[in-house]
Amino acid sequence: MKHNKIWIPIFLAPACILFLLVFALPLVLVFVTSLFEYKLMPNTFSFTGLSNYVKLFTQDPNFLPILKNTLVWILIHCTLHVVLGTALAFVLYKKPFGWKVVRTGYMIPNIISQSAIAMIFLNLYNASFGAVNSVLKSIGLEHLCHNWLFDNNTAFPAVTMIWLLFAGYTTTLVLAQLLSVDESIIEAARVDGASSLQIDFMIMFPLVRKMIGTTVIMAAAYMLQLFSMIYITTGGGPGVSTTNLPLYLYTTMKNRYDYGYANAIGVVIIAIGAVCMVAIRKLFRMNEEDY
Amino acid sequence: MKKILAAFLSATMLLGLLAGCGGGSASSGAASSSSGSGAAASSGSGKEIVINYPTFQVGVNTSAPVISALVEGFNEKYAGQYKIVVEEVPGDANYAEKIQVMISTGSLPPVVYGGGYKLLDLALAQDLVVDLTPYVEADPEWKAQYNDASMAANARDGKIYASSMEGSLVGYFYNKDLFAQAGIDAAPKTWDEFFADCDKLIAAGITPMAMDTADGAWCSQLMMGAMIATSGDEGLAFMNTKYPTDYNQDVVVKAVEKLQWLYQNCTTLDAVGGAYENAANNFYTENVAIIANGPWMIGDFSDTTLVEEGFNEKVGVAAYPGGFVYDEPIEGMFVTKQSDPALEEAAIAMVRYFTSDEAQEMALNMQGMVPASPTAEISDEALSTFPLLGDFLSQAAECELRSPTFTSNMVPGLESEWSNNLPNLATGNISAADLCQILSNFAASAQ
Repeated sequence: MKHNKIWIPIFLAPACILFLLVFALPLVLVFVTSLFEYKLMPNTFSFTGLSNYVKLFTQDPNFLPILKNTLVWILIHCTLHVVLGTALAFVLYKKPFGWKVVRTGYMIPNIISQSAIAMIFLNLYNASFGAVNSVLKSIGLEHLCHNWLFDNNTAFPAVTMIWLLFAGYTTTLVLAQLLSVDESIIEAARVDGASSLQIDFMIMFPLVRKMIGTTVIMAAAYMLQLFSMIYITTGGGPGVSTTNLPLYLYTTMKNRYDYGYANAIGVVIIAIGAVCMVAIRKLFRMNEEDY
Repeated sequence: MKKILAAFLSATMLLGLLAGCGGGSASSGAASSSSGSGAAASSGSGKEIVINYPTFQVGVNTSAPVISALVEGFNEKYAGQYKIVVEEVPGDANYAEKIQVMISTGSLPPVVYGGGYKLLDLALAQDLVVDLTPYVEADPEWKAQYNDASMAANARDGKIYASSMEGSLVGYFYNKDLFAQAGIDAAPKTWDEFFADCDKLIAAGITPMAMDTADGAWCSQLMMGAMIATSGDEGLAFMNTKYPTDYNQDVVVKAVEKLQWLYQNCTTLDAVGGAYENAANNFYTENVAIIANGPWMIGDFSDTTLVEEGFNEKVGVAAYPGGFVYDEPIEGMFVTKQSDPALEEAAIAMVRYFTSDEAQEMALNMQGMVPASPTAEISDEALSTFPLLGDFLSQAAECELRSPTFTSNMVPGLESEWSNNLPNLATGNISAADLCQILSNFAASAQ
């Protein structure tokens, strides 16, 4: 067997080289350039240490509200969104009438491109001809009509609703895990007199705990990458009320041509991502064996 | 056998990887003469030089027919010597972003259209632009195209870097039928009359203005900038200041207050958050009586895919109250530095051709685009095809107050900040003074 070990690094080499070139090297460059004043206009590139980070946390009036938006969206997505998807999976694994139709139908919004979804909601929320205001008018609630995406009071929840309800990935993954649970375990629980609710909460839920943890990690990562939906609907406005960190990174690069500062924001995003991953893995005891 | 198979698979994977990394260089061998963008290709001395020209002026863009005709004409004139290959980049915002990214990597196509996107200054900051001054000086016809306004748009520190192909005389359009319904028989001459007319329109159940907040709020900022420019010497000086850093000036704050009033009382619900397209659509469908925009819109008034038959006869045009028009040649085309001098020469020939008086006259006749060049002739053909244009040009000739637009003078990037904060102004979440402070803060930090 010993002589076969030589093939392991050879087969791993392409993936490793690709990773180093495509991810690791740019990542290092992001870290390094975040320590520089690196601007396109005026053309500047000089080492400034941690000044971009100091400016970000102490002098930038937009950063903390934007950080708050990002964290709130992560929290909402990791809780409400995952609970919704998991709850539906727990309903569907019992295979009620039409469960396959619901499973497939619920997945559809997740396979449509984010840009298309954003355009749909941009029109649904349109103040003049959007379906939301039209429905409100038709049922006599005209006083509730809003310019949903561009009123400071409604923009954040309006943008949140664009993705909050569509937990198709969570449902699909948790449902797949639930359906793979050995039927004999459920049978045994029934023989011991467990109710349906007790089976769900005390038998099935612990069995799919790791998968739920995985979907929570996916949800957090999704929120840390979210860009096109916000960019197309509100562009981050009004003000910065719907701006998240990825969008702020982009606008810093695009509007201020400040690449060093944008990369400092990128490092903060990576740090938040790393903290989220570790915390979620701890919370769901992802490294522990159940049996 | 297993070892041979494993070795073969490994070699294939590594070759695939290397081929993936190196494929670009193999295929772009012809493009090696450019400064690295691969945007242009010279196939060798004595052979046809290819100019790759990315542009958003394609498809349904108003200027698409003009650009198409110019490309065709250029390729015909320089057949066997130079050839333009158009790279379609639909959407001006996409185009501006693409060029910005190319500027950051230092590899630009040989010819870039600056437009209203401040691309020239950005490229200049990276020292990527060819100085056209010696070429312009050597060509009396070309030199005659540069008046003060054109120099302001295309020259920096006395050096000419770009050449405009269209001017930007901008007033506003109004719907004569809707004005008549409100009892208004002529375009207002003063701002007091203007606001009184707005009240009359509202009283008649007509929404006065087409407005927007997205993409720099083109229509809205035109109306507001005109208020600043006509407020007195201080206001006019502000409007003629390139990259102002202090927006906390009384004349600006007052104009922003009026803009807020217009958002809250005189426009459609979709104005807040809406882009130019929403505003234009509201004017085309006669939902509103007034839209501020340039003469390039005139062709659309007869396009029955956009408006009802006979709509063009309902539209009137006017200079802004107080005798003001925007007058700023749109930042023109510039040539970028290339490692192949022959490609640079080809690019200069292209810019010269596209911005010649003949080209500008053709654009006028085809689309009603106002020439940037003072030596280009306004033909009777153009005036008969676009009577509104003739009307506007005669009104504009009487206007002594002129300036660039409010947003075109902003420091790069500020337009987006302005746009994002307008919804808060419109809904009253921030005051005019707050918005001016936000603009000042950004402009100061961008210095």
